[in-house]
Amino acid sequence: MADYDRRGGGGGGSSYNPKKRRYRDDDEHDRRAPRRRFDAPPHVRVRKQLVAIAENPMRPWHEEVQAIATLFTDNWDDELLRANFVDLVLQLAVEQPLKTPFVAAVVLVANTARHEVVDLLLVKLAALVQGKIGAGEWREAKLYLKLLACLQGCLEGEGVFPVLEELFARAVDLQTASSEDTIGTEIVKIILLTLPYIMVAAPGQWVQKAVDLMEKTEIIASEPQTLQALIEPYQPEAGEENQPQPQSLIGLLQSQLQNEANNGWALSCLPRPWEFPIGEVEQRSKLDDAPKHALPTITIPEAVVAGPRPLFPEIYLSVYAGQDVESVPPLTNIAASLIRDALLDTINVLHFNRNITARHLIDLDCYFSPRTFAARATPFDKLRDIEPPKSTWKPEDVAVDAVFSQLFQLPTPEQKLVYYHSVLTEACKLAPAAIAPSLGRAIRHLYRNTPRLDLELASRFMDWFAHHLSNFGFTWKWTEWVDDVYLPDAHPRKAFIAGALDKEIRLSFAQRIKNTLPEPYKAMISPAKEKDMPDFKFANDDTPFAAEGREIAGLLKRKAEDEEIDAVIERIQSQAIDREMDALMASTDVFVTCVLHVGSKSLSHVLAAIERTKDRLADAGAASDAARSQIISATMEYWSAHPGVALSIIEKLLNYSILTPETVINWALLDQHGGARGETLSLAHVYEMVFNTVIKVTGRVRQLVAKPALAAEDEDEIKAMRALFAAIEDALASWAAGTKDEMMETAEGEADTDADRLVRAWGARWLRVFRRRAAIEEAFLVEAEKERARRAQAAAERQAEVGEEGLGNGEAEAEVTAGLTQPMDAEGEEGA
Amino acid sequence: MRGPRATVERLDQPSAYFNSRNKRRRFDKEQRDGDDDTNMQNDQPEEDPLKDATTLYVGNLSFYTTEEQVYELFSKCGEIKRLVMGLDRFNKTPCGFCFVEYYTHQDALDCMKYIGGTKLDERIIRTDLDPGFTEGRQYGRGKSGGQVRDEYREDFDEGRGGLGRAIQPPRSRDRETRDFDDDPYGRLK
Repeated sequence: MADYDRRGGGGGGSSYNPKKRRYRDDDEHDRRAPRRRFDAPPHVRVRKQLVAIAENPMRPWHEEVQAIATLFTDNWDDELLRANFVDLVLQLAVEQPLKTPFVAAVVLVANTARHEVVDLLLVKLAALVQGKIGAGEWREAKLYLKLLACLQGCLEGEGVFPVLEELFARAVDLQTASSEDTIGTEIVKIILLTLPYIMVAAPGQWVQKAVDLMEKTEIIASEPQTLQALIEPYQPEAGEENQPQPQSLIGLLQSQLQNEANNGWALSCLPRPWEFPIGEVEQRSKLDDAPKHALPTITIPEAVVAGPRPLFPEIYLSVYAGQDVESVPPLTNIAASLIRDALLDTINVLHFNRNITARHLIDLDCYFSPRTFAARATPFDKLRDIEPPKSTWKPEDVAVDAVFSQLFQLPTPEQKLVYYHSVLTEACKLAPAAIAPSLGRAIRHLYRNTPRLDLELASRFMDWFAHHLSNFGFTWKWTEWVDDVYLPDAHPRKAFIAGALDKEIRLSFAQRIKNTLPEPYKAMISPAKEKDMPDFKFANDDTPFAAEGREIAGLLKRKAEDEEIDAVIERIQSQAIDREMDALMASTDVFVTCVLHVGSKSLSHVLAAIERTKDRLADAGAASDAARSQIISATMEYWSAHPGVALSIIEKLLNYSILTPETVINWALLDQHGGARGETLSLAHVYEMVFNTVIKVTGRVRQLVAKPALAAEDEDEIKAMRALFAAIEDALASWAAGTKDEMMETAEGEADTDADRLVRAWGARWLRVFRRRAAIEEAFLVEAEKERARRAQAAAERQAEVGEEGLGNGEAEAEVTAGLTQPMDAEGEEGA
Repeated sequence: MRGPRATVERLDQPSAYFNSRNKRRRFDKEQRDGDDDTNMQNDQPEEDPLKDATTLYVGNLSFYTTEEQVYELFSKCGEIKRLVMGLDRFNKTPCGFCFVEYYTHQDALDCMKYIGGTKLDERIIRTDLDPGFTEGRQYGRGKSGGQVRDEYREDFDEGRGGLGRAIQPPRSRDRETRDFDDDPYGRLK
């Protein structure tokens, strides 16, 4: 409830401030003449009020809408205001999409007094819709169409329908041309999401039109999409038939709308701020009689493009599915899709101010029709007491669900993952009593389902969980999972706990985290983690080459000449040969360990140490695969208590090309580090290491293929990437199938052990992640090639137009370089 | 700047601190130039020094926060190219700020949006776009070697050496946070 009190600042300040009013009253009791009030000029007031529209839940919508419309039309002669108004309406449509119906209502009321404003708006709006569709900026296209749909009531003829039909025709073309098309489905999604707004803007008039349109979209919407199997959030499990099937967003939309059509288009969640109460007879008849306007022609280009963001099928995910009381709209209800869609747009467009995003999420009940939700901050247990016709949907759950759907979007959400972290953090700060319990229930749901959650998502969950706790004093009710501490380490839930604790420690320090944990967990934090610096194994004389190790460390510390170090290395190698050890591996291990020891104070220290010795490290690595692998082994061993540090070091060694991506993959998936039998697949940091390496490689390839033409070296890098994926596939497939030699050995004669089953499950989860990555990169390569061809053709055409003056060439190049800013997308941060 | 003013304030703008410093500098320069002919050049919009900034100044860190912690958090916005810890000019111990350099401008902006104002080591940290680290800026500019804000601070801040150094009893000043050797402080490359 406290949330209602703190208002203002929402979308740039609200107009209602009770405090101020009280001061004015005080003034009147004074003898002094009241201070002359300064009124801001109308364009400032209209902007302020329009930007903050619907933020104040205490103010009836129709009053607010009318007040703004009147302020605007009364000052029609103010040119600044007239010019700004239309632009502001358009800007709000794409910046604060939750407010679109309200902004549209202001336009509709303004239309009753100054009908010219609608024409001014429609000209610009139509051009924007056309432009955004042409550029493949599908979200903006959708948001402008939504505004247009809300204005259906004041449009001549069939209004928005012809545009939707034309769009649909394109979708059909695309789908007939290729079964792998994603633009067509995106278009159908937009059509289906626009339709409900038309139906509430002009109730009762377009039922037949809507039915006709939906009959057509049915075929595309119900078609299973390629790639969908790859991006489902849960690992399909063999033998379990009755799992809830993941829902494709578009298929869901189609069936929800069908329900709604059968229901007389009630669309009860959508606000209708343009409806005035029965008592306001005059205003109601004015609105009914307001002039209608012709929609300027919107031409949809013959060939539509995918646009700047790669399109993938979308799955509807809810972390509150299957509860005994519905705290979020059920999948059968169109409200699920409509509210989610409006929230996702809000979240993704407002990436530049997470505080306002959080505010909108917490205030979300302000933007849907009254009684759509239960009262804010109603505890989950109390939902049971709510009598049937009243809603049990918790606004907090709906908000949190929307953010999680992005955090768990595959292959990647629109913004960096850390953005969604920050939105949840701010929401929690703004309304802790309301949001925190909802988050808690989401965490429990995800934790319970960790074993079947896609591994990439499980890793995101872990990363978010630790980061979130770090913002709230690392408090979590660990006691409720205490039984899981006794599970085998390779159990997915135990692995989650271990991984999350490691991430917490990375953001803080071991002692601090230990103090937040109940007793049974404390054993999971080894004493080694509490040391500032790892032990130097050569300090112990029992370690082979202890004396040499200490000597090299000493030489490195005083930055001795290379020759001095060479001498010691040679000594190690000859001793190793005497002991029948691999000479190069032995000397590499000693040298790398010494470099790490000398740089153990901080990352800066170790990087400086690597910088000074990079030639020797590169030479050692270049000598053999085994030596390169030994560099990783030495690093992981030295920093075994703090794998995060090891991972940072390995990342930099990759940058120096001392290590290659193949080294990392082979080390993690093939080499017998410590004689493990596949259990290492359950270690979060091993996954993180492989994943980061793959992202590094694919990110680089993406940058290369975005160039206008590929050089031979670029082709080589693409080949190398494919080879890397093939190597991962080979290694993982045998783990997943249980045909790995190490597993076969024990499996012989013995029954299928639990441990083996766990390893196979991990193998399968890993495999799914990297198969998806490989498929996505292939899809990206195809798109990039199309784009190169398109650009080449455009450049050729332009050149032909300009003639052979050579002028066209320069222009084409300019366009090409401008395009280069696009490729690197929000990939790099994942799992960081 | 970036087209029409957004209906919502952006978090990836430089702080008032940077702007006012910059304005002052520009103003001084104009004063110095006087009514010289060179003044004509000032009519052209000056190149924004933060247009392609990849570096961030990070403030309000605890003295005990390590590079590794900064690295762990800030990597969430992109790979870090270089990290320079702010050090006490005399002790060469961390004194509560650092510079984080990314490979791209976009990563730096994202960091402003998603990490500035959140917690690291349980303190709300501050980020500000920075034109770039130059040698010497890693040291505190306060009289006693730390940051100026820690000279006369009257609240007791455990993470930043207790009271302001200028007002605390002389003995407690010697407590060192971590012992750094006299090695020139290595740096990320």
